[in-house]
Amino acid sequence: MALIEINDVTFTYPQSSVPALEQLSLRVEKGQFVVLFGPSGCGKSTLLRILKNEISPHGQLSGEVLFNGRSAGAATDFSREIGFVFQDPENQVVADEVLHELVFGLENIGLSTNDMRNRVAEIVDFMGAEPLLHRKTHDLSGGQKQQLNLASVLLMQPGVLLLDEPTAQLDPVSAREFLDMLVRLNEEFGMTIIMAEHRLDEVMAVADRVVMMGNGRVLLEGAPSNVIRQMRTAGERSYIPAIPSFYLQITNASQEIDIPLTVKTGRNWLQAAGMTITNMPESVAVKAKSQAKEIIKGKNLFFQYDTKERAVLKELDFSLSQGELYALLGGNGSGKSTLLQLVCGLQKAQRGKMSLHGKPLKSWKRQELAKTIGYLPQNPKLFFLHDTVEKELMHAVGQWQAIGRSEAESLLEALGIGDLRQKHPYDLSGGELQKAALACLLARKPEILVLDEPTKGLDPVSKGQLAEMLADLQQRGMTVMMASHDVEFVAKHATKCGMMFAGKITAEAVPAAFFSGNFFYTTMIQRLFRGTADNILTTEEAVRRCGVISE
Amino acid sequence: MIQRFQAFHPAVCFFYYAGSVTVLMLLQHPVALLAALLLIVVINAVHDRCKGLRQWLVMIIVTGFFLLILNPLFNERGQHVLFVLFDHRITLEAVIKGGMSALTIIAVFAVFVSYNEVMTPNKLLYLFAKFFPQFAVLLMLTLRFIPLMKRRLADISAVQQSKGVYVSGGNWRERAKNGLLYVQVLLTYSLEEAIQTADSMKAREYGSSTRSTYEHFRMKGIDIIAFLLLGFFLAVSIAGRMQGHLYLTVYPVMDSLTLTGTETVYLTAFLIYLSFPLLAEGGGMIRWRLLK
Repeated sequence: MALIEINDVTFTYPQSSVPALEQLSLRVEKGQFVVLFGPSGCGKSTLLRILKNEISPHGQLSGEVLFNGRSAGAATDFSREIGFVFQDPENQVVADEVLHELVFGLENIGLSTNDMRNRVAEIVDFMGAEPLLHRKTHDLSGGQKQQLNLASVLLMQPGVLLLDEPTAQLDPVSAREFLDMLVRLNEEFGMTIIMAEHRLDEVMAVADRVVMMGNGRVLLEGAPSNVIRQMRTAGERSYIPAIPSFYLQITNASQEIDIPLTVKTGRNWLQAAGMTITNMPESVAVKAKSQAKEIIKGKNLFFQYDTKERAVLKELDFSLSQGELYALLGGNGSGKSTLLQLVCGLQKAQRGKMSLHGKPLKSWKRQELAKTIGYLPQNPKLFFLHDTVEKELMHAVGQWQAIGRSEAESLLEALGIGDLRQKHPYDLSGGELQKAALACLLARKPEILVLDEPTKGLDPVSKGQLAEMLADLQQRGMTVMMASHDVEFVAKHATKCGMMFAGKITAEAVPAAFFSGNFFYTTMIQRLFRGTADNILTTEEAVRRCGVISE
Repeated sequence: MIQRFQAFHPAVCFFYYAGSVTVLMLLQHPVALLAALLLIVVINAVHDRCKGLRQWLVMIIVTGFFLLILNPLFNERGQHVLFVLFDHRITLEAVIKGGMSALTIIAVFAVFVSYNEVMTPNKLLYLFAKFFPQFAVLLMLTLRFIPLMKRRLADISAVQQSKGVYVSGGNWRERAKNGLLYVQVLLTYSLEEAIQTADSMKAREYGSSTRSTYEHFRMKGIDIIAFLLLGFFLAVSIAGRMQGHLYLTVYPVMDSLTLTGTETVYLTAFLIYLSFPLLAEGGGMIRWRLLK
């Protein structure tokens, strides 16, 4: 008997004509690690929420959900067996101090202090979080917050853990740590884990089963390598992680059983296959050498938020040339966002010079600056002042007089969000929200776009659309600067990369040169070819240079 | 630092401060009040070198000064006329009355400064949680939300400034309008995000049964001893006051300012009570030295 059995569930939200889940059936065995994926809005979150009584959404539900063979309604005590971790690390936190947050759930179920002490001691030890115990929750990094949320849920000793895109808001290092913790829980304690996730590169290697969803249905499900194979035949390639995708593209043999999912298995396979790699002339490097006009130049920049705190930026030199797509990489708190705000004139450097078109940034009028530089913040929700997308856009049109109304309309259409114009910005998904904000930015016709982590929380499809859009804008002479954690995205689309470390840009080069020197901040494919051909970064390039093996 | 005192159970600390304020309000004798105030200042000095007190200094002096001045200005009663100002008699009695209320206010203020340092929100939360569990959750959420809103407002102002909507320039009408827009975004955004917080609370069984509280502090033997000692001295001080001691009769005839024998005894009891943090710290120091 399966631990969780979902039979023919259809769920419709109130005032919605299309069901969010449609005749969905799924069985989850005890101790399995299941990953749900699919484009945003495909019903992953709804499915997870239906499994947890307390937060199940309002709406029309038909079909049955069984826990251990009993229906969800009868098994209310089973709901206690389920822990839920949400996507946003910040919003789940209730208390201002870590310890209070940890015991919040335990207090709610009326546990005695002694029991609480035992449980807290255990979990804090397990997670190595003792130094954090009396810290304020808002001092923690996103990754730490998410670990705290996980710990707080684990304290309630659930048998099943549901996670709704828990790593979407985290940087790759924190995301990896979080995932490791889940793997440990699954392997060492047999905890059943059901997780919705976009980043499949690492998850695929650890999951027992993956489920691809679309339009409220289960499209594909099974063991990771099976699903990957089916995805290829179904034409859903954007979800296939880099290494298996490369493998599938150069081997014709569809009967292969073990598709390499990790760098390790991939390298073994490469070695066994005796791959030959054709050498390519380094055309990329030559192209980037072409001289372009410098638009922004920063010299010897120094910045700190508070005289008591350490400096965020120091002795930083930096320049941005016309037509570039410059990507800043670097760990959390390395000062990427701060540098972007400095470029936009939103923060002022305490020392050093920053100039735009050769004129010091300080002497630019604020309105002119806002017209020249468009800034997309990490959290696009803060961007909107009006209650529909259209009003916001029309306000921007009226304010800047850069484009006409009809042009603005066609901008919405071009971005594919024409049907969302009457919606409230907060009702949009992450990708849609970003496009809406971008439309408002483009209504100003800025020369420079500054984007702070534009790929955060986006599904692969939206990411692809963003890339196309950026390439198109760049074609038309737009200069783009962005901060990103998304190495794969940067490797594919940036023209220049910079590494932030200790308040400086420590390395700067075109992607091929930049990533071939890196060990951690590099793509899966580059890791696969390290030592044999260091300058292969992307799947496309790898396929081009390896040729097809037919066995 | 008065670490020893801070290490006591929050109930002990709370009791100490509540008792101090009560007796300070009851006392009506300049000598006793002056002695108490000095002691409180010393406690503040030992605690944080009067840093907390200095922040409030202007406020304290101004309030005290007003009380001292206003009473003689409005009150002409009394037999000892000090001088006459614009046909207005300034009497010694009125000055002393005013002085005493000034001293009381200043002393209570100083006690609260120390209270603020010792009774962290954490301790308060713990004390309240026992009796009002729902209130404690509310307090906890508030403690988190205030700095959170502050940070969000800073983010909003950066983003909006990049759009050309700012409050640091332009005419005042524009500024006020933009400021309100900021607040509007802050509120809608915060409400929207709070739904997720509510979900996370529900997912952790909030409201499913009666809440218990994690007791961060344990009542130890030393806490009980402290309670007994404090209780004893407080009872003595209050009993003395009930019998009419440490109360300076001003009207109709003013008593002598000097303390009688019994009054000295009661005052000593109260001063011992007040100096409890110092005694605890001193005792700790001596024990530490001896052990070494």
